[in-house]
Amino acid sequence: MGAAFVLLAQACIGNLGGDDGGAKPGDPSKPGVYVAAEAVLPRLTELQFRSSLHDLLSPGVPMTATEPDTNPYLFDSIGATSTTLSELGVQQYEEAADAVTRYVFGDPLRRAALVGCQPASPGDACVTEFLQRFGRRALRRPLSAAELQRWTRVATDLAQPDAWEGLRLAVAGLLQSPSFLYRVELGEPDATKPGMRRLNGYETASRLSFLLWNTTPDDELLDAAARGDFDSPAGVATQVARLLEDKRATIAIRQFFAQFLDLGRLDGVTRDPANYPLYSDGMIEAMRTEVELVVDDIVANHRDARSIFSTRRTFVNSQLAALYGVEAKGADKTTFVPVDLDPGGPRRGILTLGAFLTMNAHETETSPTARGKYIRERVLCQTVQPPPPNVSTTLDPAPDGKPLTVRERLEEHRKNPACTGCHMFMDPPGFLFENFDSLGAYRTTLPGSLPVDSSGDLDGEPLADALGLTEMLENDERVGDCMVKQFYRYAHGRLDTSGEKLALEDLGARFTGSNYDFKQLIIELVTHESFRAVALPKENP
Amino acid sequence: MSSRILSRRTMLRGAAGGAAVALALPTLEAMLGSKDAKAAALPPIFGLFYWANGMPWHGAHGMMQAGNPDTWTPAATGPGYAPSKLLEPLAAYQPSVVTGLTPHTEVPGAPAGQGDGHMRGFMVAMTGDRIRPDGFDHPSHTLTALRPTLDQYVAKHPDFYGKNAPAYSSLVLGVSTARFHDYGHWNAISYNGPDSLNLPVQDPAQLFNMLFSVPQDLSKLTRRASLLDAVREDANDLRVRLGAADRIRLDAHLEHLNEIQRRLNLSSAACEAPGMPGSSNDLIARTEIMAELLAKALACNLTRVFSFMLTSPATTHVFNNLGVPNDMHATCHAGNWQAVYDITLYQMKAFSALLGKLATTIDATGASLLDRSLVFGTSEYGEGWQHSVAEMACVMAGKCNGALKTGVHVRDPDGNFSKAHVTMLRALGLDTPSFGFNGGETTEHIPGLLG
Repeated sequence: MGAAFVLLAQACIGNLGGDDGGAKPGDPSKPGVYVAAEAVLPRLTELQFRSSLHDLLSPGVPMTATEPDTNPYLFDSIGATSTTLSELGVQQYEEAADAVTRYVFGDPLRRAALVGCQPASPGDACVTEFLQRFGRRALRRPLSAAELQRWTRVATDLAQPDAWEGLRLAVAGLLQSPSFLYRVELGEPDATKPGMRRLNGYETASRLSFLLWNTTPDDELLDAAARGDFDSPAGVATQVARLLEDKRATIAIRQFFAQFLDLGRLDGVTRDPANYPLYSDGMIEAMRTEVELVVDDIVANHRDARSIFSTRRTFVNSQLAALYGVEAKGADKTTFVPVDLDPGGPRRGILTLGAFLTMNAHETETSPTARGKYIRERVLCQTVQPPPPNVSTTLDPAPDGKPLTVRERLEEHRKNPACTGCHMFMDPPGFLFENFDSLGAYRTTLPGSLPVDSSGDLDGEPLADALGLTEMLENDERVGDCMVKQFYRYAHGRLDTSGEKLALEDLGARFTGSNYDFKQLIIELVTHESFRAVALPKENP
Repeated sequence: MSSRILSRRTMLRGAAGGAAVALALPTLEAMLGSKDAKAAALPPIFGLFYWANGMPWHGAHGMMQAGNPDTWTPAATGPGYAPSKLLEPLAAYQPSVVTGLTPHTEVPGAPAGQGDGHMRGFMVAMTGDRIRPDGFDHPSHTLTALRPTLDQYVAKHPDFYGKNAPAYSSLVLGVSTARFHDYGHWNAISYNGPDSLNLPVQDPAQLFNMLFSVPQDLSKLTRRASLLDAVREDANDLRVRLGAADRIRLDAHLEHLNEIQRRLNLSSAACEAPGMPGSSNDLIARTEIMAELLAKALACNLTRVFSFMLTSPATTHVFNNLGVPNDMHATCHAGNWQAVYDITLYQMKAFSALLGKLATTIDATGASLLDRSLVFGTSEYGEGWQHSVAEMACVMAGKCNGALKTGVHVRDPDGNFSKAHVTMLRALGLDTPSFGFNGGETTEHIPGLLG
């Protein structure tokens, strides 16, 4: 059963009506009622697994292959809660646990640094004290008496030839425990709200740490949990501020944006230098780095996060400087320098930069449809239906002797009534980028010396080119709401449910109130009641 | 099943395949020590070879596709058919082929898009069922299987291994790493069920280490195995606190853990390792490298089931070695028939390279692995220009220990694809009253193929 309660933070919520009293708990269709979603069971992502091993054992531990993350609905955090681990994945965990423990326990200095005492005999005080301490870090909570007994027994039974080997195998076992590999954040009954469940302090520490640092909580977080600091909003805020100051938070935020902006689609993209003289090896990677630096800059300086789509500030290496035709003193292939794009020029915001323009184009021609689809789905969080069955999704090739542009061929395509609906939705904003080729180079003519026509529209508003679009997006509420929705999904590791509509609206209002400061959105989200409220899982899927 | 007497020379030549390879000891013993050349055949091998984007289109795929030649369907049916142009690379191995098959599964109207070949054709060929509709609001309209793909269906069938499961119930391999999307059947063709993918091993060195690296001190493996009992106790404490959906995920994890534990305890069946494999970016060369390791694993009975994904569904692999500038998916959509023909022919040559390794690798009874095998070759639809699911690919190579006739072409226009599944499962000796789901059910096998 879902648990329901009216959100306390009502001031920012526009549509809380007066008739909510009649809403039944657990009825997500009633407006004004927030219904907590079921708890999920995320498996550590590859990064979280590796970082946790580093933090638990030693920064030098060898890293072996693990099951790749999956990213349904864009996010590896959603893959972590929905994908089932394969047999090979379990085997790789077993091998990783063996390899990292051999690395640490095979070396007298390393094992002494980790354990801090010398086990004199199997299962002695040194062993149990260490297992207790290590177990708390690994499982993100104190071990139960039964667990301590269990792992002490392993350390004793397998102590061949000595107690060190027993301890190594106990650690290898703990690192394969589902309580380590999966984040157990199931909540417990909420003392202040009968019938509700809420993450306890340790679970909150775990969720914060993996969201903001992508690693197991440090002792300071676990101590805060032990003291009950997370029972007060101030206690949570103190820890969140500390976490956000760290470099690891910067990386985590960058990772969110990379997934939200679907930059993984740049993987494996190449261009033929014969067709694109400005292309050279490493350029696609540079495009990805550029977007990351633009986002870092805006987030770090608390600027309006929506301005990633309209800022003149970017960061280029020598390849991108040549692609954009801008001067970039000090830039080389691996050094990126900040540049302010010419106000009279054709570029502002990441939609006019290499990554977006390249990953939404083909080798031989651009794809206004793919570019427009990205605007709809990624920037505005709208949904584009797949093509209906038995419909050709192919653009008819140009008849002999008459070079038809992509625009003209798409116009032909849209004459099919089955296609026109979706294409009228996607293509017009996509046409605005026609003055950028498949590598993102600016152009005024198309192949065949045809003039470029970059006119189009967004939702019926006619625009001359991409610059007009970026101006519209600058103040488009949907852009901020989309970021909130995607970050909510990312942070919770699942799709938002209808019962969480109010929480999203509340967070959206707070994001707006902060002038779209993304760091403030993070703080609002992790201190929001919805971050910790969970419903009991269903008995039947 | 005929017995073949092989000279030692034949055997070594067959097994070596280029690299400096020592044969697994049991094979040598069986070959050289046993006077009984008619030793009972070892049990059958089931393999699945997958290539992307079907075949070049022609009139039988649909009206729009008319005007291009059918380069896939052999002109004549029956035994001893003369291969078509695209089947020519496989001719040395005399595979049987069934042409004209198509999905008979239902296509629900909502959410839209479930009729698309990438999804419908793939799922029917691999699982006999329709697609799992959940996931169309995913950015990549991702969806996953409703049930296991055929490789896993066979590997997990209680009668396939019985009580004598080898170290690996299956090997899941792949060659091209290009992918259309990041998730779902776009980058894995082997499934255990919904959202439960078996991603292919694609790195030769990784595969080598997995199969042939065995530590010197086997008692360490036994201790590694025994600590997993405590892991399982931990898991059981957690299990009771979970909802049904997560319990299913955890149970799958624990089943896998049992397999790992069993494998760690199977320490005595170590195989003599082939040489450390090389690598290549050419798909055929890479197929040969992976197939060499696979064949060694099969000969040593490390497994009897494999899937081999040459290219993933809707592959974005760029065949620039064939002078095709755009990725294959885009090339299909652009309607470039000649390029798609060239690529398909190339993919068939890779298929041939795999079959060649199986044919020339000899097991402990002196039989070639291919004689013991049934290798099912298929793709996601009939053709990739319009995504027609008419005329889907169905190749059955190998003798399956005599249970499958070779060199037969059966034509079954608009035939239910799952008849092929029934045929293969029966050839493998698995009791199969019917197969196919959600409209695709059939009790029939393809006539004329079972030995």
